[in-house]
Amino acid sequence: MNRSLLLGSGALLLVLVLAWWLTSRQPKPVLLIPTLTGKPEYCLTCHSDLAQISPSHPVKTFGCVICHGGDALALNADQAHSSMRGGANPSDLSVVQQSCGGGNCHSGTAADNSDHIQRVMGSVQSTYAGAISTMLYTFGAEPDLTARFGIHAVSDDVITTKTGVPALKVFDPATETNPFIKEFATNCLDCHINAKPLTGQPFDRLTGCAACHTPKIDSFSKGQIHKLTTAIPYTQCNTCHNQGNYDLRTMTFVQRTDQSTDRLHNYYQPIAQFTKCEYTLDCVDCHTRTEAMGDGDIHSNETQIQYIQCQTCHGTPSQLPQTKTLTDPNDIAFRLALLNPIVDPKVGDTILVTDKGEPLWNTRVLPDGTYQLVGKATGQVFTFRPVMGSGCTQIGTDQSSAYCHTCHSVQR
Amino acid sequence: MPDPSRRDFLKLTTTALLAASGLIGLAGLIRFLDFQPGPAPKTEFDLGPASNFPSGTQTVISDVPALLTHNQAGFSALSLICTHLGCTVWQDANGLTCPCHGSRYDDKGNVLQGPAKKPLASLRVELTAAGHVIVRTG
Amino acid sequence: MRPNFFHHLHPPTIPAAQARWRYTLGAGGLAIFLMLVLGVTGILEMFYYIPTPDQAGLSIQTITYQVPFGALVRNLHFWAAQLLLIVIAVHLVRVVFTGAYAPPRRFNYLLGLALFVIAILLDFTGYVLRWDIGVQWALVVGTNLIKTIPWIGSELYIILTGSTQPGIATLIRFYAWHIFGLMLGAAILLVWHIFRVRRDGGIAIPPPALRTDNKRITRYELVRREVLAMLFSGAALILLAIFLPAPLDEPITQTAEVLGEARAPWFFLWIQQMLKWGDPFFWGVVVPVLLLVLLALIPYIFPKPADRELGRWFPKSNRLAQVTLAVIVLVVIILSIVARLSMPGGPSAS
Repeated sequence: MNRSLLLGSGALLLVLVLAWWLTSRQPKPVLLIPTLTGKPEYCLTCHSDLAQISPSHPVKTFGCVICHGGDALALNADQAHSSMRGGANPSDLSVVQQSCGGGNCHSGTAADNSDHIQRVMGSVQSTYAGAISTMLYTFGAEPDLTARFGIHAVSDDVITTKTGVPALKVFDPATETNPFIKEFATNCLDCHINAKPLTGQPFDRLTGCAACHTPKIDSFSKGQIHKLTTAIPYTQCNTCHNQGNYDLRTMTFVQRTDQSTDRLHNYYQPIAQFTKCEYTLDCVDCHTRTEAMGDGDIHSNETQIQYIQCQTCHGTPSQLPQTKTLTDPNDIAFRLALLNPIVDPKVGDTILVTDKGEPLWNTRVLPDGTYQLVGKATGQVFTFRPVMGSGCTQIGTDQSSAYCHTCHSVQR
Repeated sequence: MPDPSRRDFLKLTTTALLAASGLIGLAGLIRFLDFQPGPAPKTEFDLGPASNFPSGTQTVISDVPALLTHNQAGFSALSLICTHLGCTVWQDANGLTCPCHGSRYDDKGNVLQGPAKKPLASLRVELTAAGHVIVRTG
Repeated sequence: MRPNFFHHLHPPTIPAAQARWRYTLGAGGLAIFLMLVLGVTGILEMFYYIPTPDQAGLSIQTITYQVPFGALVRNLHFWAAQLLLIVIAVHLVRVVFTGAYAPPRRFNYLLGLALFVIAILLDFTGYVLRWDIGVQWALVVGTNLIKTIPWIGSELYIILTGSTQPGIATLIRFYAWHIFGLMLGAAILLVWHIFRVRRDGGIAIPPPALRTDNKRITRYELVRREVLAMLFSGAALILLAIFLPAPLDEPITQTAEVLGEARAPWFFLWIQQMLKWGDPFFWGVVVPVLLLVLLALIPYIFPKPADRELGRWFPKSNRLAQVTLAVIVLVVIILSIVARLSMPGGPSAS
């Protein structure tokens, strides 16, 4: 019996030592208490080598869980990731309101320029209302080109423009009888912000906000890029744009076949006409936030929201481009420059503005009357003169880009 | 002394093993109870814009607690935690008095009277780039 | 040697044949040991557990992931609790299958049943204290079953949950029951139960005239065996706690969507299965209570085991009682297995 007691004591001691040893071998949890939430998280135990997503979302302030969801205190990977929103992409439009939303974040009011999510949800890029309504009208399912359907249902209580519609219903191809429209739904809905992109390297992108704001480097096949930026290069826009054309007879997408590596040939489709600035600058250098993310209204067509023209920066023979002098230190132009510090505007600087008053914050009126623009993604500095006082023979009333291209288009 | 018998050896070893288990258990218990779950107390207090504390004023900041003085020499902060047993010192007509056991300090924090022996601590004050006053207790 | 306090807690001698492991299975003693482990680990957990809805789940995660050996303490508490129910059931089966409930032990049998019920309630209240999405449905269903009782149901519900629906009052009350109310009841009944064992003459054996084996073991030997049992079962328990963690889920929040299948705790799976068959009051309250009443009546309505057959397994004279218990146990087990198999995967429940 004494021997059994010895064995028993030995067994107990052994097990206690085992427990101690195993506990000491566990990874030391790395605690983070982000200042915005005040709640502890352990994501950094495994993910501490992940690059911070952007200077305006520092991990010490935000942590990880406020955007990604997930189980903040779990050290087991499966449990920690089990309730993450949107998988690895919390900006997918199905979960964006919980991840990026909130009155203090990106679904605030238009007055303080923080209503991004509302605007994006109603924007043509995400509702795809233009393509859908054009198809439905062309094949007789709608009496006019006013949008009635979108990829997701959305409604808008406050309409501020002439072309805004109050609501869109969900486009459900199952209720359509026309075979062309059904083909359209099967083959052609890969390019709105919430769609999974076509497979293949040129189309690689994420969905939701990340579709534009998380630019790919080479290809995502190398792993997700943990980055949010406003310095969006043209290659990101080209994951949907400029990759080919639709053949309406067969209702298929015909991908462009030219292979090229330099910007001049890579940027636009072989059929396109463009000027020098249209390929040396990135899309975001001209196209504004309102054009890309919407103005809060639901529009029926891209043409109702896209309004930038050559004259916005260059003016006409009789008119200088519109400018604005920055007097208010809280002007949105300063905030935008902070996000992408390629320029350092000061109070008192004069910048170009669009017809709708959107500041082209990466521009400046130089003391000698010429203008300067710094490329948002390239950082290149361009100086240019207004059209007024130059040898331009433009008729002031024709401001279509095709008209300017007549003289200024570039040969590939 | 006779050689220890086999039974004694077994008994001794068993006792030793049990004692070792007990010690491990105790050590584990101490480590278990040693843990501090809550967030650490604040050591940095942002008091807001410096314009709230014009020159020539003294303000009691109850959060810290501290007495913030702004004079020609700049900002200074005196901790109002009594060095005797930790009550918050009050400012009254006689200067700084502790309500608990009657310690008294002058406006520089030196002990005038009372069971307290050590003077009130001086706290570091900083001005941020945005013009806010920060008091540090750590 | 001079007997110490622990020696004196035991009778000077007990019959050797009935002291063997293969007679009692050590089930009663093991149950007491497990309750001791539960008490100690429970008190340790109380240093960190916070019984409010927004803090409960997080504080359990603190214990599991941050506190040194916190996971060990929590897992020990969990496994001791689940094993306790099984060990008590084994003890009940042993008592019936050895006829050890015969007079004068009938009252003690009832005390034991009451302890069984309290242990189940302790397990359930402890389960709810997790306050995570894995327990949410069990909490809702369990408390709503109270409401189905006619006349007194709604009042009883308010008494138990402190509100018209589970919330902060419920958590505090379940905490109070778990760490004190039920514990007090269990402690009193346990002391009484053990006292009655002594007063009823110790382990059931035939009266002296009918005994075939008169060998006995001393209190020293008995205590030694108990210490041995505690050492080995303690080591086994720690091994379990090291390698099999207690379940943990995302805390219940106002906005959390409940994921996965709704699942009763394992010891109530049989009731969950029955609840699929119809009226909740009948299948969820009446049937379990009737089963309990039947168990309680075993010493009173079935033929008593004969005196000469006491002290051994499977006496012929109380075969009916043995069969009845076996059927009840089998039915509960089968219902539980059926309930479990008819569920797809989901968040873990105990």
